[in-house]
Amino acid sequence: MNTIAEHIADFLKEYPPFNHLTFEELSEIAMSIRVVNLDKHKTLFQINDVLHDSFYVVASGVINLSVIADAEETLLNKCTEGDIFGLRPFFAKNNYMMTAKAREESIVYAIPIATFRPFVANNSEVLNFLLESFAVNTRNPKDKENLIGKLISDNVFYSDQQSEMQYFQSLSYNISPLKTTITAIVQEVAQLMTETLKNNVVICENNLPIGIVTDSDMRSKIATGRYPVTVSVDKIMSSPVITVVENVSLAEAQLLMLKHNVTHLCVTQDGTDKSDLKGIISEHDLIVAQANNPGVLIKEIKRSQNPKELKQIRERLTDLVQTSISKNIPLSHIFNIASEINLAIIKRSVELSILDLGSPPARFAWLSIGSQGRKEQLLLTDQDSILIFEDVSADKYRDVKDYFLKLGKRTTATLEKIGYELCPNGHMGSNMLWCKSLTDWTKQYDSWMNTPGENSNDLSSIFFDYEITFGEQRIEDAIGNVVFKNAKNNTLFFDFLGNDALRKNSPLTFFKNFIVEEEGTNKDKFDIKTRALMPLIDGARLFTLCFDIRGINNTFQRFKQLSITDPKHAEIYLSCAEAFLILSKFRTLEGLKNDNSGQFINLNELSKIEKEKLKNALAPMRELEELIKNKFQLTQFS
Amino acid sequence: MLDWLKNINKEYPEFWKTYVSKFDKKSSRFVILSTETSGLNPDKDVILSIGSFAIIDNSIVIGDSFETVLLQYKFFHDNGLSNEFLVESKMKKLGEPDAIKLFIEFLGNSVLVGHHIDFDVEMINAALERLGCGRLKNEALDVDVMHRKLNDVNDKQFSLDELCATYKITKSDRNSSSEDAYKTALLFLKLKSRLGIK
Repeated sequence: MNTIAEHIADFLKEYPPFNHLTFEELSEIAMSIRVVNLDKHKTLFQINDVLHDSFYVVASGVINLSVIADAEETLLNKCTEGDIFGLRPFFAKNNYMMTAKAREESIVYAIPIATFRPFVANNSEVLNFLLESFAVNTRNPKDKENLIGKLISDNVFYSDQQSEMQYFQSLSYNISPLKTTITAIVQEVAQLMTETLKNNVVICENNLPIGIVTDSDMRSKIATGRYPVTVSVDKIMSSPVITVVENVSLAEAQLLMLKHNVTHLCVTQDGTDKSDLKGIISEHDLIVAQANNPGVLIKEIKRSQNPKELKQIRERLTDLVQTSISKNIPLSHIFNIASEINLAIIKRSVELSILDLGSPPARFAWLSIGSQGRKEQLLLTDQDSILIFEDVSADKYRDVKDYFLKLGKRTTATLEKIGYELCPNGHMGSNMLWCKSLTDWTKQYDSWMNTPGENSNDLSSIFFDYEITFGEQRIEDAIGNVVFKNAKNNTLFFDFLGNDALRKNSPLTFFKNFIVEEEGTNKDKFDIKTRALMPLIDGARLFTLCFDIRGINNTFQRFKQLSITDPKHAEIYLSCAEAFLILSKFRTLEGLKNDNSGQFINLNELSKIEKEKLKNALAPMRELEELIKNKFQLTQFS
Repeated sequence: MLDWLKNINKEYPEFWKTYVSKFDKKSSRFVILSTETSGLNPDKDVILSIGSFAIIDNSIVIGDSFETVLLQYKFFHDNGLSNEFLVESKMKKLGEPDAIKLFIEFLGNSVLVGHHIDFDVEMINAALERLGCGRLKNEALDVDVMHRKLNDVNDKQFSLDELCATYKITKSDRNSSSEDAYKTALLFLKLKSRLGIK
């Protein structure tokens, strides 16, 4: 026994399956461990390598598991601290079917199979965990959640065989179906379904399913007037129900629904209607199992009841963005989809807060500002928002403001749980400063635009990119009117914004090399957000305000529109639009690779061609700068 | 100058003879060594504990390790110090002769690695001399020297903590010679691959 073995045992006991073992057992295992250091990009094993005599636990760093199909590398999973991988030697004799490569400098513990096997044999929980880990073949975060712990698939061919594989995966379905008795009154049942947002209810006797009532029964039998709402539910139920066993596959469930022409299947213990009800499979579950498609995501957002569910959906959006990019779907299109989903998530978060706090005492609008306001949020970045409520009489003002501040706090907290970090500058509806009445906001914009520079501390240009998320459209319109009225011939304001746009640091040195960060954690990386994207975003905003173009918040579309409104400089605008998409793509890919906002690009990882591409995308910026300088004749603040 | 003459007919202890005979072959095993000592003077001070790991095939073999506390009763008595903390330690305890003997057996012909390893080697040599043995014959590598070579720095030395910070090795709250040996081992693995040593 030695001290380090004890440390390793201490580390292991936090993670499944090791948490099922005693400390003594773990110490014994730890004694036979080998500690391996992997340099960045070092391959631990690859496809068709002979099996190692051990499996691995990540001690620090990140290991990417990938498969190669059609000469394309597809990422299966990222293993972080405490994850196990390389389980293949436990269960199979043939060679590895995936590649394990260090994403960053990592340390892994190699646990010899021979040492670990006795513990597996003697401990069914450990065995089950390993079997599940080995068998699981989905990256669906919802499944991960269900299976408690961290599961690493090991034997999957992902990309091209995926669609077939899916048909044989087991379904996740509602395991706590809505139940009622045969004597229940239709109206009460309908009320129950409405409250729980379910479209079906199972009629049971002693927990045996005897019938089902769905939305369509309500429509065809009640709403048509064939039965009054006061009859008992057995008059309108469909009976008998179609039953299946647990662990039915997607393919089987689909066939059964088609065959019996039904929309729901009851899951029972032994697959007949003479045993206990276990759950209900709806068409919806089948769709969910098949794809992370945007429509389904939005539908699910609307149904979710708590931040945790929303968080899972947000994680699936990341998957969706990743697959969309790898399928070469145009980025402008991905922007649209992602922003709709983000919008729906924020909207649902506000709704959830309202459900908790009671209905609002006045009409209001929740506006997203910044990147979400521009509909350019693909990755999890921080949240920016403002809250505007309608004017109320002075005696009510305090209470009303109080309510909306609470609403703001609750919503931002929810969003934080989902994964949107709080804005470091406090640009959020939960902030006293940014949660106020329409009159106050009008004054605020007036003062920003007519006397810029005086109170410039709290003026951030992101306040001019706003998009209504929730509430009264007319309030947004009112603010829009204020902004554009003030913008007209307001040289001082444009002077200010123009200087603001030009103040950003240039991306290239005199010799056309990238200017990289000189110190800090991101040393030697290229800050694509401040040095490349922000100038374009600021430029686009400046010109749209100047040309009185309303209702277009997206930088790409702003440039497109500008090329129509101001045809003299169309060429510059169009090349800026193109450059913006290319730069965004660089950022998104970097962000997906590292699970962060992608602000800093590691140039060493780019190929020569990619670097040239990036450099070319920076060229239109210079022209845009010149255009700003000429157009606004910047003097006052420079 | 004439030391070798003095020793020419000297009978060495059995374990030392075995140790010397191992050097017929070259080893691919590395042994990471860290010692805790009572001070910095090899002539007067003694080793208080030894922590050591083997590295085979670019991986630290946790089981192939040597760890002990040395019971230096005489040293503590002579210097009027309390040895309670040694007695209380949960680790394996050995007298200096046994500890050194076992360590030499563990070490064999492997390549020694440590942080400022020269000093550790001097301390072990002093202890070996007390047992009537010769000096260590192993090749020795120093992680600080490796780091300086990698970065072309000649004018300063780096402490173990500084090196750990540079190579992002997490510090542990516990402090012992085993702990230091483990950190040194990780450092060595990282430096080894960076310097391309096979």
